[in-house]
Amino acid sequence: MDIRLLRPSDIPHVQQANITNLPENYFFKYYMYHALSWPQLSYVAVDVSRPKKTPYDPPKVVGYVLAKMEEEPADGVQHGHITSLSVMRTHRRLGLAEKLMRQSQRAMFETYGAHYVSLHVRMSNTAALHLYRDTLGFKVDKIEPKYYADGEDAYSMKMDLSYFREEAESSEDDAEAVD
Amino acid sequence: MPQQLSSKEQSLFRQVIKYYESKQYKKGLKAAEQILRKNPNHGDTQAMKSLIQNSQGQTDEAFALAKLALKNDMKSHVCWHVYGLLWRSVKNFEEAIKAYKFALKIESDSIQIQRDLALLQIQMRDFQGYIQSRKTMLQQRPQIRQNWTALAVAYHLAGELQEAEKILTTYEDTLKQTPPKSDIEHSEAVLYKNTIIAETGEFQRALDHLEAITKNNLDRTAVMEMRADYLLRLDKKEEAAQAYRDLLARNNEYRAYYDGLEKSLGLDKSDKGSRQKLNELYDSYAQQGERIDAARRIPLDFLDGDDFRKAADRYLRRMLTKGVPSTFPNIKALYSNSEKKQVIQDLVEGYASETVVNGSAEKQSDGETSKNFHPSVYYFLAQHYDYHMSRNLVKALEYIDKAIESDPSAVYYNMTKARIWKHYGNLQRAAETMNHARTLDERDRYMNTKCAKYQLRNDENDKAINTMSKFTRNETVGGALGDLHDMQCIWYLTEDGESYFRQRKLGLALKRFRALYDIFETWHEDQFDFHSFSLRKGQIRAYIDMVRWEDELRDHPFYTRAALSAIQVYLLLHDKPEIAHASLANGVPDMDGMDANERKKALKKAKKDQEKKEAEAKEVEKKNAAKKGGTGADGEPKKEDPDPTGSKLVETKEPLEEATKFLTPLLEMSPKNIEGQNIGFEVYLRRKKYLLALKCLLAASSLDSENPSLHEQATRFRMTLSSLSEPLPEPISSIIEKNFTLLPKS
Amino acid sequence: DPDAAEASENPSVPATADDRKAAAALSSLETHGGAEDEESGRKKLNVDADALGKAMRNLEIVAGENRGGAKGKEEVKKEEVKRVKVEAKDVVLMVEQLDLSKLKATDLLKAHDGDPIKAMTAYVTAPV
Repeated sequence: MDIRLLRPSDIPHVQQANITNLPENYFFKYYMYHALSWPQLSYVAVDVSRPKKTPYDPPKVVGYVLAKMEEEPADGVQHGHITSLSVMRTHRRLGLAEKLMRQSQRAMFETYGAHYVSLHVRMSNTAALHLYRDTLGFKVDKIEPKYYADGEDAYSMKMDLSYFREEAESSEDDAEAVD
Repeated sequence: MPQQLSSKEQSLFRQVIKYYESKQYKKGLKAAEQILRKNPNHGDTQAMKSLIQNSQGQTDEAFALAKLALKNDMKSHVCWHVYGLLWRSVKNFEEAIKAYKFALKIESDSIQIQRDLALLQIQMRDFQGYIQSRKTMLQQRPQIRQNWTALAVAYHLAGELQEAEKILTTYEDTLKQTPPKSDIEHSEAVLYKNTIIAETGEFQRALDHLEAITKNNLDRTAVMEMRADYLLRLDKKEEAAQAYRDLLARNNEYRAYYDGLEKSLGLDKSDKGSRQKLNELYDSYAQQGERIDAARRIPLDFLDGDDFRKAADRYLRRMLTKGVPSTFPNIKALYSNSEKKQVIQDLVEGYASETVVNGSAEKQSDGETSKNFHPSVYYFLAQHYDYHMSRNLVKALEYIDKAIESDPSAVYYNMTKARIWKHYGNLQRAAETMNHARTLDERDRYMNTKCAKYQLRNDENDKAINTMSKFTRNETVGGALGDLHDMQCIWYLTEDGESYFRQRKLGLALKRFRALYDIFETWHEDQFDFHSFSLRKGQIRAYIDMVRWEDELRDHPFYTRAALSAIQVYLLLHDKPEIAHASLANGVPDMDGMDANERKKALKKAKKDQEKKEAEAKEVEKKNAAKKGGTGADGEPKKEDPDPTGSKLVETKEPLEEATKFLTPLLEMSPKNIEGQNIGFEVYLRRKKYLLALKCLLAASSLDSENPSLHEQATRFRMTLSSLSEPLPEPISSIIEKNFTLLPKS
Repeated sequence: DPDAAEASENPSVPATADDRKAAAALSSLETHGGAEDEESGRKKLNVDADALGKAMRNLEIVAGENRGGAKGKEEVKKEEVKRVKVEAKDVVLMVEQLDLSKLKATDLLKAHDGDPIKAMTAYVTAPV
């Protein structure tokens, strides 16, 4: 299993993973928009333990995070946003969602100076809520009524990214100590 | 002769342009018509009106009016520019380029027209033309950084790397001061330049340049990856090893980093002498985290004998104790080695025979006794015996039933049972079992998707779309199927098309395959806006990757699969034209054993059924269109489908020409696909393009000289050549004689 | 309210927040006027005017620098290819037999000394 940066050639497979797993779907150009606006932020999980079948085998995308920077933040604070995150049901219990999110969040912090990251989740999606709140450390910011196409409400959630600053400072201290 | 507008009307004309640009088309039309009331032959206004009409979907009216505008004002760059925009909108880029060049002759200073021309040139991969356009744009506006970057991109894509680098350096030298660290455009531009230096092969210079820009660069991951790569290429192994360790500290689930580290340490998986050190290396990474999979899985690739057995035992016990559902997919690649396959089988069979008491006694280090273990073992064994390299379907069914017995509501177990039935060939049972699995978690789209797929495999098309409709936007034009088209759901359209093909419902099959063809057209077209957008955003490396990928877009297996199926349909239509004449909705009856009267009767009944089905489909379409404002996902007006069942497609007069449309990208982009070469032969033989048929035969032979289709086709080729009604032109026959050496001439 | 007016004229305004984001992104990809370039130019004006002028004067020289002296092998080869004469009937034959455009057929002929048999043989026997 590889956790790596999303490339344009992955987009058809990410799109198919999205429409396989989630009701919230997007056309190709919207994925391209993410990949060409913030190419540092979106990641894929690829099953690389597969026998090769043809000279043109596609990547087996089993998970992805599609991320962006909020272009005009309402609160004036530079922050990232998770457009979509999904892991194939068959590939759960490997920590892929956490690994994908961590790579994306680091890039938001390092490249774009993001203070926090936000996302939406269906109020009824207990599994995703558990992942975001309990595993990743997101906090509910507010409820957005009728956010989804079928009329379901969303939790708007946020997570502070300052832990990357602490990590960076710690790593610099270690480097100085060695020098 | 051009008409002159009063100052008030000139102001109104500028309003028309603003309305058009902000997509306020009704207001734009109103203002344009206001001008035309007093100035009925004002070419520029007529041109703008036609542009607005085109944006509202009135293409024919728009073209007619644009031509009238040109007639009224042949020397108006606005009229020519609009004419070009209309051609561009119908994707006739060559005509658009001609019109733009006319416009530029009249108004050489127009930045907008020059830009539109440049965009078409890069879309068409006219790199030299693009270079000239970008030079012109740079000379017009040298103060804008984008224009420098754009010219560098033009040179780069044309393969002129030194010129590209020099353009970027020239601009950098004009800067009063280094931009602030937060300037992503600058950060990316210097990294882009670094990739160009590396592309020349000058890795020491690339490394030196990278060191100079690293401190202030925002893309830390890219900088670290590039540095590690250059160090390794320059054989600076100690530094490279440290660089890859630093990368692994940030992402320990990326094999490219492990590969880089191995090479930096002088280790080689295929060398037995390296195994001990490799094992220690991976063990050290595995120790760093309980959840690291790569460091535990990679050794299974290179270990053998007792070392493999021990590592596999640890790996499998750990994964099966945790109940990780993807354990089997994660190790099945090892089965290409029959010894490893046997070891794994023996190990897991051994786990199965361990008693539950023993299972309980073997507590994990974290104190957790896993109730997952034995069901997971049964689940693993079911997948093992289902897999084609270790297949024993009786055992597979036995084990999956054991797993289900332990947990009847486990979705994975029921899914896998459906898969086993599929491999038994019992598609009915498979679909039913997968539907049962779906009902165990009705809120999960993944299960819904799998269920619909199995229903399509069982040719239950109506059930499948009904299943899908539980998660689609059914208020869109076309309902659930319309939404799947809008969201470019490749898998569904492919499976649906193949199902109709199996049922010999050729119109519906072609309908789906044409939709897939169109999706790839759309994906190709989608790059257009990014030619300017990406320069504005400044993410040039990503843009270059995209352009290069788009050039090979149709090598995707998604395209290949659809193309192969579509071509088969067209070959069938060519060989049995009576099918097309019937234009059947309910499948083609087997008419080979019928006499003339029976055939006539069957075709007549089929035609009647078809007309009834089409009427029903039109009713459904009308109903769906009435539900919503009739727009697609992108807000553009969407038209009702005039041919929902594909009867017009199936009635094509030129099936081989249609087949060739699918075939050309297939052969060009995926020449190593032997199925493509085989089917290419069939098309070209029927089209009497004997050199191209030979090309496919030779290509297939070079890929697999034992291919059974190849032998049969070579024989048929020889027979066809021997029985031509008139001889081939001399150059053609001589080339064939010289190069067709797959069969003896007798 | 201009938004309200827009909504009335454009009934296809997406229903959900998610859809509105996608539609807004699509809109931001499009360009119509030079306004954006103007903005970009003003925002990014960080160049030394004298240096820029010098850079522009050197632009043609820079671009042609590698061509002024010794021409690359690639360039020489390209020029030699351009001079090869081809016959119209050979172009027609290759367009007909190989499904090529006139341009591609001409280029292929030129690459093979104007010899149609050489050109067609090379095309048919090209390795995959």
